[in-house]
Amino acid sequence: MAAARHIRGPVLEQSQLERFEAMVLPHLSAAYRLARYLTRNDADADDVVQEAYLRALKYFGGFRGEGASQSRAWLLAIVRNMAHTWRHRHRADASATEFDETVHSEATTAEHPDALLSRTDAREALAHALDHLPPDFREVIVLREIEGLSYKEISEVVDVPVGTIMSRLSRARKRLQDALIDSGKEL
Amino acid sequence: MTHPDVEAQVDAYLDGELAASDAVELEAHLAGCAACGRFRDDRLALRKAIAARMPRLEAPELLRGRVRAALREAAAPARARRPAPVLAWRWLAVAASLAVVAAGSWRLAVVRTTSSNLADEVLASHVRSLMPGHLSDVVSSDQHTVKPWFDGKLDFSPPVHDFSGRGYPLLGGRLDYLDGRPVAALVYGRRRHVINVFVWPTDGPEGIARPVVRRGYYLLHWATPELAYWVTSDLGLSELTDFAGLLRLGDSAAAASQPSP
Repeated sequence: MAAARHIRGPVLEQSQLERFEAMVLPHLSAAYRLARYLTRNDADADDVVQEAYLRALKYFGGFRGEGASQSRAWLLAIVRNMAHTWRHRHRADASATEFDETVHSEATTAEHPDALLSRTDAREALAHALDHLPPDFREVIVLREIEGLSYKEISEVVDVPVGTIMSRLSRARKRLQDALIDSGKEL
Repeated sequence: MTHPDVEAQVDAYLDGELAASDAVELEAHLAGCAACGRFRDDRLALRKAIAARMPRLEAPELLRGRVRAALREAAAPARARRPAPVLAWRWLAVAASLAVVAAGSWRLAVVRTTSSNLADEVLASHVRSLMPGHLSDVVSSDQHTVKPWFDGKLDFSPPVHDFSGRGYPLLGGRLDYLDGRPVAALVYGRRRHVINVFVWPTDGPEGIARPVVRRGYYLLHWATPELAYWVTSDLGLSELTDFAGLLRLGDSAAAASQPSP
């Protein structure tokens, strides 16, 4: 009997849908932020989030985590994968992946980033710098700086070891800082 | 020049992710190395700037509705589409016949509708309408376009108003199916919120049901001697009640919208 039910596909009781909604829907804004920063586009972010939620619902039966931080990391991992699938489909990220480290290397910190930011349109400069980070760097910055995830949680979302997260974050911040200083010089 | 192996440690240190023993060692180094100390200060400034200035976006309400609708739709095959039970409506009828209160020309019956399957149906329909391309069959802010559109599609003519003068513009209309029959769904807007008004003929008693809250949506329900109304939106209760008041006023007076003074 149970096997027959299984073959017909996931049978979702109303109560399970409600449980899913109670556990996973509260992370909608976090999912949206990650998708928005990774796709850099409102409509694509919406699509990614919707697909991610459908996928999450499908695999919810196998989710064994507990508590808000675990369900959030679980959902964000799905959102992240959907966003990467989306990126490979659209190849819109060419400009960001061509970020050339040699061009932006070893920028001296002659100018204090905070001073720079108050001088220019700070919000825009930061958003621009973040948008032009390679996606691997952008996602760790968003997860750490905006979502406040721990290294361990980020390593679960991104599926790489904690040590890699640590060095990736450090390199991402360096690029962000360098890019901000560069954009400051152009202005 | 900073010490390259220190940089990643500084970040982990500031993130509170460095082991205590390593942190002590790092602090000692930072105290003695001016370049690394400056590096730490720059990083602190960067993170302060990000915290203060990176937009912390919230998911748009429309996306919330879309996701909910998609989840419901995905879960639907398991829950066989069942014919609409009219239990709630019966309860309303019974209760209304027991407790009818006169209020001006409007006979008021405040009824408790606890577990209403019809409310679920209405809500599912509302949420489904928020999915792309589902909102309107006829897109128009002109009541004289929307109202005739229903001719020949329904066995009644739904009242259609444009309350754009009061901040509730008419957006369009569509056919829907509720309570086991085709009904008129009229779509109104309020800022970025969508209000669905479902109307169909009834010969039940008139009355106003108590507002129902389901999953963050309010549902208002009332009946005139001829028509049953369900109104739902993610708007706050006070605005939705305000809108329902306009709708009832417009219907009972058969008057068009009045621009606010």
